[in-house]
Amino acid sequence: MTGATVQVPATSAVEDAHGPIITVRDLSFRYPGAARDTLRNVTLDIPRGGFVAVVGDNGSGKTTLCKTFNGLVPHYWAGEFAGEVRVAGVDTFTSCVAELSATVGYVYQDFQNQLVRPTVLDEVSFAPVNFGLADHRERATEALETLGLMDLAEKFVWQLSGGQAHLVALAAVLAMRPQVLVVDEPVAELDPARAEMIYQRLAALNTEHGITVVTIEHHAEFIARYARSVLLMDDGAPTWHLPVAEAFARSQELEAHGIPAPQTVQAVRALGLGGAPRTVAAAAEELRRLVPAGSAPVGCAPAVAETGARPGTPGEPCAGDGRGEVGTAVVRARGVAHAYRSVSGQLEPVLRGIDLVLAAGERIALVGSNGSGKTTLLRMLAGLAVPREGRIVVDGLDTRSASPAVLADHVAYLLQHPQQMFLTDSVRSDVALFPSQRKRPGTTELVAQVLDRVRLTGLADRDGRTLSGGQQRRGTLAIGLAMRPRLLLLDEPTSSLDSASRDDVIGMLADLRAHIECAVIATHDMHLVAEWATRVLVLDRGRVLADGTPRQILSEAGVLARARLRPPQVTQIGQALGLEPVPLSVAELAALVRGEEA
Amino acid sequence: MARKHRDVLTVEWVKLELIRTAYASRGGLFARMDPRVVVLWYLVLAIVPWLTHNITVLALLFALGVVSVVLARVGPLVLGLFVIGLGFDIVYTAVASLFFGGGWETLAALGMLNLKLGAVSMFSMAAFVSLDPEKLSDALLAFRAPKLLAFGVSYGYRMLPILMEEFITVFDGHRLRSAPVERPGLFGWRVVVRVAKTAVRCFYPIFLNTAVNVRTTIEALETKGFTYGAPDARALRLGTLRVAGIDWAVCAATAVLLTGAVLAGQAWPMFR
Amino acid sequence: MTIPSAPEDVRTGTLRTVGSGAAPELSSAQKLMIFVLSMSLFGLSNVILEIIPDVSVGPVEVDVSYFVFVPLTMVALFSPFWAALGAPLGEIVFTDLLMGDFSGLAEVEGFIQMFLALYVAGSLIRNPRNRGQLTFAAIMVVTIDKVLSAAVDLTKVFIGVEDAELVEGLPQSVLLLEGIGFGVDVIISGIIFGALPAIWLVPALHGKIEPLLGMRPRVPGEPIPGSAPRQGWFVLVAAALTVASFFFAFLEAWDVEVGAVDSDFRDTYGDGFLWVSVAALVLLLAVALAIARRKGKQR
Repeated sequence: MTGATVQVPATSAVEDAHGPIITVRDLSFRYPGAARDTLRNVTLDIPRGGFVAVVGDNGSGKTTLCKTFNGLVPHYWAGEFAGEVRVAGVDTFTSCVAELSATVGYVYQDFQNQLVRPTVLDEVSFAPVNFGLADHRERATEALETLGLMDLAEKFVWQLSGGQAHLVALAAVLAMRPQVLVVDEPVAELDPARAEMIYQRLAALNTEHGITVVTIEHHAEFIARYARSVLLMDDGAPTWHLPVAEAFARSQELEAHGIPAPQTVQAVRALGLGGAPRTVAAAAEELRRLVPAGSAPVGCAPAVAETGARPGTPGEPCAGDGRGEVGTAVVRARGVAHAYRSVSGQLEPVLRGIDLVLAAGERIALVGSNGSGKTTLLRMLAGLAVPREGRIVVDGLDTRSASPAVLADHVAYLLQHPQQMFLTDSVRSDVALFPSQRKRPGTTELVAQVLDRVRLTGLADRDGRTLSGGQQRRGTLAIGLAMRPRLLLLDEPTSSLDSASRDDVIGMLADLRAHIECAVIATHDMHLVAEWATRVLVLDRGRVLADGTPRQILSEAGVLARARLRPPQVTQIGQALGLEPVPLSVAELAALVRGEEA
Repeated sequence: MARKHRDVLTVEWVKLELIRTAYASRGGLFARMDPRVVVLWYLVLAIVPWLTHNITVLALLFALGVVSVVLARVGPLVLGLFVIGLGFDIVYTAVASLFFGGGWETLAALGMLNLKLGAVSMFSMAAFVSLDPEKLSDALLAFRAPKLLAFGVSYGYRMLPILMEEFITVFDGHRLRSAPVERPGLFGWRVVVRVAKTAVRCFYPIFLNTAVNVRTTIEALETKGFTYGAPDARALRLGTLRVAGIDWAVCAATAVLLTGAVLAGQAWPMFR
Repeated sequence: MTIPSAPEDVRTGTLRTVGSGAAPELSSAQKLMIFVLSMSLFGLSNVILEIIPDVSVGPVEVDVSYFVFVPLTMVALFSPFWAALGAPLGEIVFTDLLMGDFSGLAEVEGFIQMFLALYVAGSLIRNPRNRGQLTFAAIMVVTIDKVLSAAVDLTKVFIGVEDAELVEGLPQSVLLLEGIGFGVDVIISGIIFGALPAIWLVPALHGKIEPLLGMRPRVPGEPIPGSAPRQGWFVLVAAALTVASFFFAFLEAWDVEVGAVDSDFRDTYGDGFLWVSVAALVLLLAVALAIARRKGKQR
């Protein structure tokens, strides 16, 4: 490891006007009690006005590195600190977190817990007030206006949606008018449209306000479209820091570090072309010459079945329960409606008139924007909540008459945050909790078998919370499997995972097909939808907006727009090229293009 | 027994209650006042009843308490609990005193004690129902209470729904993954034991998960200069507080009424 | 996980921190973390208890006053001082204030009782894995808290009722009720929801939760970090707090004195209560200021 830096050439007027804003020289850091340095001889420059994506495996030291920029390391997290970090000329070692925070703003991945005040305006003006800045009002208003949040100023923080909360956290940092903005995984828990919005705002801050942006990110698409340079961290030191085009030209190295190239690049590669197109349009442009002119215009995609219909025969809408059944029904929901009470005492509907039949053999993806009712529906299917109206019958049991504990013999519900499912002090006892409590014969063998299947046998005696993100997901999967349910419900199983762990989880879900009769996944991850699901339910404001196969749904532009969804890039390329049917994977795209070539 | 959706005792309900605490405080007389003045007003009135045994004065103070409660628009729930609590207190202590051989004398003494306690409770209700946590936090800061205390008040307000949600999720997890109670037993004691055990068990993951969340919060506080101690920070925070006409008016009225009560007490003294 | 020192593990930069970084002294951020964690968890446990309905048998409430094991775990694992300071504030903020049940000055007295109880109990625990110490500490929390609270209650009766000791049956009945309540509390809060869960929870968390806050776990027998930050002022503040806790007792002394000069009493009454109010305020502010000063100095 050389830890060599490569100076990023200036790509804008503001960039590098007065030299780099952050310089790191020979930085090493070790947490107290750790066996080894977490950061090892890091030397790098962050250019003024740059937009840097920091990538690398979990545990490569990305977050620790970013915490040296505002002095949290070493002033907050004590430890052995060697070398030097200068931010706007100030040596962080001799400064303090509070002083550095005026220059470097830090937005955490866990945005809920960094909002510390009850109302939005209060939160945003909190830092300026603490620093005794007399113009705190103007600063707060300015920050809110920059991000278009003025409407939210008087709202209570807990009334905000996930995307809004993240923007407020960003605004709270902007109120200090920082020169550098560090954002840790900005889009981990957001629906695709809101994720896009966050990045657009960051890009605007970068280009219009000249703020240097550093993000920790593993979504290749966002890096490719918004970042100017990529810093690859490996094992506590930077491997290289390159302009984004050059970085993606080294896609194999990125892939080795858990960042597969965006599908735009993969598609071009799969068809034997060079270059690294960073947008769908660019990729389509490259590929267009491979597609014979005048062939297959964007025609009508197969009709999406009406609400409540079966996806058995594509293009043929068929209402009702009984027709085109894949297997026996596992879930029957009729007229399900639910609402929460609002402050004024009125009922705010979250689900309205849902009629559904979910059958054995189906793998269902439940998609829709944040707040569309996905989690509420999952909770109802698990019997954790009962609907205000309508009936849900799961595996022959009415959720109104069966208690959740009884339903748990038939349904397993895996929460979005794995740490909430680790109830005991080891993964093994967590997996064993259900079968042993219910006195199932052969619990020990079952647990051993399940742990083996998710490849956690070696880690089974550790507390689930100490595992990496991907391992935690596999741990929750094991908990679900040991319940031997007919219906498995998963809430966002791939959120905030790096691409390698995500592919791992998707692969494992695919492998488990044989063991679970029916699975429902609520997700924003369109790759998961495209690669895993056999049926997609689109929820929009509490109604089923569309119900069909992934291919049907992903080619319906109107449905996608209403539900704030974005098909995988490969599907978008297929659409831009007018391919029919739309491809769901790079391999399909390649086959389609070749097929038409021939 | 068919399950129905309930609106109480859920996370949503707690959030609503919190927002209502904040909203409900709009409109009452004391809610329009400077929080510092309200706290001072309360401090004076909470002490005064302890300085006399004159029943005339106490009765007038009690009446003043009733008026304050009405002016503050205290909600029926809080008021109801107060009345029931006061009533039961009197009854229990009275029964116990009679048991030990007390008589009317004892009851009169108790009546007076409860007149005092009742008056103080009503002043406290009137004052604190009118102060949402943010205002109280400002008032505390104004009286140079430790910054930690003032912060704790508003932080609790912010974090309670998150903590509740986490707890209920973990509790539900236990509920789903343990076997249902087959025979509830007399008065459902097995169910009670199960619920108690589960509630205790939930704290293992809750301790660890909350520790992680708190770490993020404190880190964020650090970056937001909470521990920076800028000399002007306090002044800025309190810059919006103004003692206005209404504050003077309420203070004056209270002073007049107190003097009136004392004079009336001198004119028609009544002791036990 | 020991990795042989590879060439790249040689640090090229100059080491700038001194010591191993495992200093027992707590940083201000760590104190804040302990305080906030203790506040959040005890507050949460109180909200949960609030939701569970109380069972009353006649005048004696057979309810769980608090989940003693929650703050006990905090004081056993972390600095007892900061944990004990946070817990009662959590109770006040989360339940009393947010649930609309704030009782003003009475909260101050509750705060001081709980703080002293937890602080003393936490200081008693030398080894967080010792069951005997944990059990004893749990019972101590309830005992100190309830005895102080009974003392305040009795004091209130004696100030509130003229010549209370002469009223037949009154002191006994108050004592009886407090006594029964105390017994019930020791069993329910001290043992069932105090010692028993703590014996399980404290060892389970010991060594696991501390690294999450960037701290080293407590080693049995070693002096507790930050337990009594500075002996001198702590004694002073503790004394001041005790004085405040018996705030009403002060009033009593004054009251009795004036009561003795009976005829003057009603004449000087008007001036008197104002004077005392001012004195009370001054005392309160002085305590608050003392605490604030100390905090400031600590930083």
